[in-house]
Amino acid sequence: MVLIWPLFIPLLGAALLLLCRDRRVADAVALAVCGVEILAIGNAVWQVHRWGSIEGRYLRADGLTSFFLVNIAFISALSLVYATGYLRHVGEGRFSSARWFYALVYLFLFTMVGVCLSANLGLLWIMMEATTLASAFLVGFYNTEGAVEAGWKYIVVCTVGIAFALFGTIVFYLAAVKGGLSHASALNWTTLLAAASQKQFDPNLVRLAFVFILVGYGTKVGFVPMHSWLPDAHAEAPTPVSAMLSAILLNCAMYALIRYEILASRAIGTEFAHTLLLFFGTFSIVVAGLLILVQRNLKRMLAYSSVEHMGIIAIGVGLGGPLGLLGALLHTFNHSTAKALLFFGAGNVRHNFGTLRMDRVRGMARSNPRTAGVLIVGGLAIVGLPPFSLFVSEFAILSEAFTQSRYLIGGVFLLVLSLVFGGFLYHLLRMICGASQETQPKPHFARAEFAVMVVAGVCLLYFGVHIPAAFSVLLREAMTVLQ
Amino acid sequence: MEFVGIAAGKVVSTSAVFLILTIVGLAVARRISTCVLLFSMQSVIITAQVAATAYLENSREAWVVAGLVFTFKVLGIPYAFFWLVERLKSPRDVKASTTPAQSVFVVVVMVFISYAAVRSYVFGIRVPEDALAAAVALILTGAFLMVSRKKALMQMLGLLVLENGIFLAALTTTFGMPLVIEMGVLFDVVVGLLLMGIFTFRIRDTFEHLDVSRLRRLRG
Repeated sequence: MVLIWPLFIPLLGAALLLLCRDRRVADAVALAVCGVEILAIGNAVWQVHRWGSIEGRYLRADGLTSFFLVNIAFISALSLVYATGYLRHVGEGRFSSARWFYALVYLFLFTMVGVCLSANLGLLWIMMEATTLASAFLVGFYNTEGAVEAGWKYIVVCTVGIAFALFGTIVFYLAAVKGGLSHASALNWTTLLAAASQKQFDPNLVRLAFVFILVGYGTKVGFVPMHSWLPDAHAEAPTPVSAMLSAILLNCAMYALIRYEILASRAIGTEFAHTLLLFFGTFSIVVAGLLILVQRNLKRMLAYSSVEHMGIIAIGVGLGGPLGLLGALLHTFNHSTAKALLFFGAGNVRHNFGTLRMDRVRGMARSNPRTAGVLIVGGLAIVGLPPFSLFVSEFAILSEAFTQSRYLIGGVFLLVLSLVFGGFLYHLLRMICGASQETQPKPHFARAEFAVMVVAGVCLLYFGVHIPAAFSVLLREAMTVLQ
Repeated sequence: MEFVGIAAGKVVSTSAVFLILTIVGLAVARRISTCVLLFSMQSVIITAQVAATAYLENSREAWVVAGLVFTFKVLGIPYAFFWLVERLKSPRDVKASTTPAQSVFVVVVMVFISYAAVRSYVFGIRVPEDALAAAVALILTGAFLMVSRKKALMQMLGLLVLENGIFLAALTTTFGMPLVIEMGVLFDVVVGLLLMGIFTFRIRDTFEHLDVSRLRRLRG
């Protein structure tokens, strides 16, 4: 019952928002629903902390769920507050008004919370596919040539990718049924975990299933070479949506993968799943790292950086071990915060300069000092410089790699990080430094937008120096599920 | 009743042949409407298989699934496709990037691959080899249609063929997933197609054609 609320409040909110014709009313209702949703998630997280995991037939929650739910609540709150400022310059079309925007965002949120709360692997797949369906119109929201193309590509590529995950789910189900589970319980995560620990499953089928799951959900995570939808969707979507795609959706897909990784590791040992994750992770960071160097569009660069960071998280999970897993979990949260901050900054650049082409923006430090400050803070954080929090998580993963004497992975990791460091800062500094363009209108910066960026920036800095006690409890409880 | 039982058994064992025939048909078809009809026929065969399984296993859930498959995949979706083709007023050929002969060749190779791929699994899990191979062949053909046909509508159709394959794989190996999940999956497929349908209108209105291979503004 505790879990019904966080799941259905966004759905009710979406229905409610469709009734709000006035933009100001829609803003207020959207924020109110967000507040209620945060309370509901907070309550669920508290109950899990207090009484241990909550098991239901279709919904369940444990420490890992709590951790990802907190991530969802935090980033969606930031994005929605940002959206209230951002939406002022969005024209009113038939399906592109504020109420449609908020309603779709809440539908999207509903599906992502659903992914995290699914107890049934079939339901998990259904919710994961629904995330694509709910966000396809958000990606194509502006209805420009680019947005329509990105939306089409997004829905087709992700649906095909996810179809492979469905096949993987079926193979897993087959393994469970052949392993002696009843048809009704053969998709239930808790039952599967217990059966997997007793090695009831045919190893060949589990391997086959995991490969398809990895390809399927890996498409949503954005692993190279299934990432082709990602830069288009991130670049063409409205900025708050880009932030949600990058900072919540990719994490949710990673969450689904982690769930299967736990099952596969219990059933056939960690070797197989970890090797695959390490391979995809390393491949992704190398390709994304190289592509970051040649980007011209700011949001596309940020999108490739998301691919890179998802690769880093996959490496963390693939390495396993206490530091690797801790680093991976911490990194999902840190990356979300930093990437949301950067996307918000990018939205502001687009608003003030009318373009996201990085070669057309010059002298931002003089004309828009606050935007420049945001991009610098976000940029330094995302490349992993101390004292920002991404340094901590990347360092944890790296030390795990060297502890396990995996020098090749550690070496490649370091090399890519330094490449990205150079590329990212080069692109950002070129936009920030230099003489400003001749006629600049007065910089626009809504108060709501600035407030969320300050929150995100402070959070990045604070988590880099000290992890709050409540958060470390959350981390510890998530780790117990993983180990 | 003996007779019905035998017939049901035969449906399960012979349907693979008919499915492979539809695959070859899809490879050579030049018009979208032909492909839609072939898809509809494919779904009829799959409905028959679900019904046969339902009869043999005496399962009420499977009868519901058979009804759903028949309503949506045999009638609903093909009807919606014909409506789309009519409303979009775009030229009706599939815009294949391979010649029919090449397509048939590719499809035949895929059927071989399917048999080779399922071989190592069928003994362990005791399922009809032909049916599983046909399922894998459907998945591969669906993917092939998606990459080799340039019309947006054909990508949707390729996806449907692929989904049919996955459905069939679930049916032959485990007699289908639980009903609730099966319904959820079908719901996602229908909503997905609905959204893609809306997108085809947007593509036509923005680009004035439906050739997705010419959507290449976003690269790199």
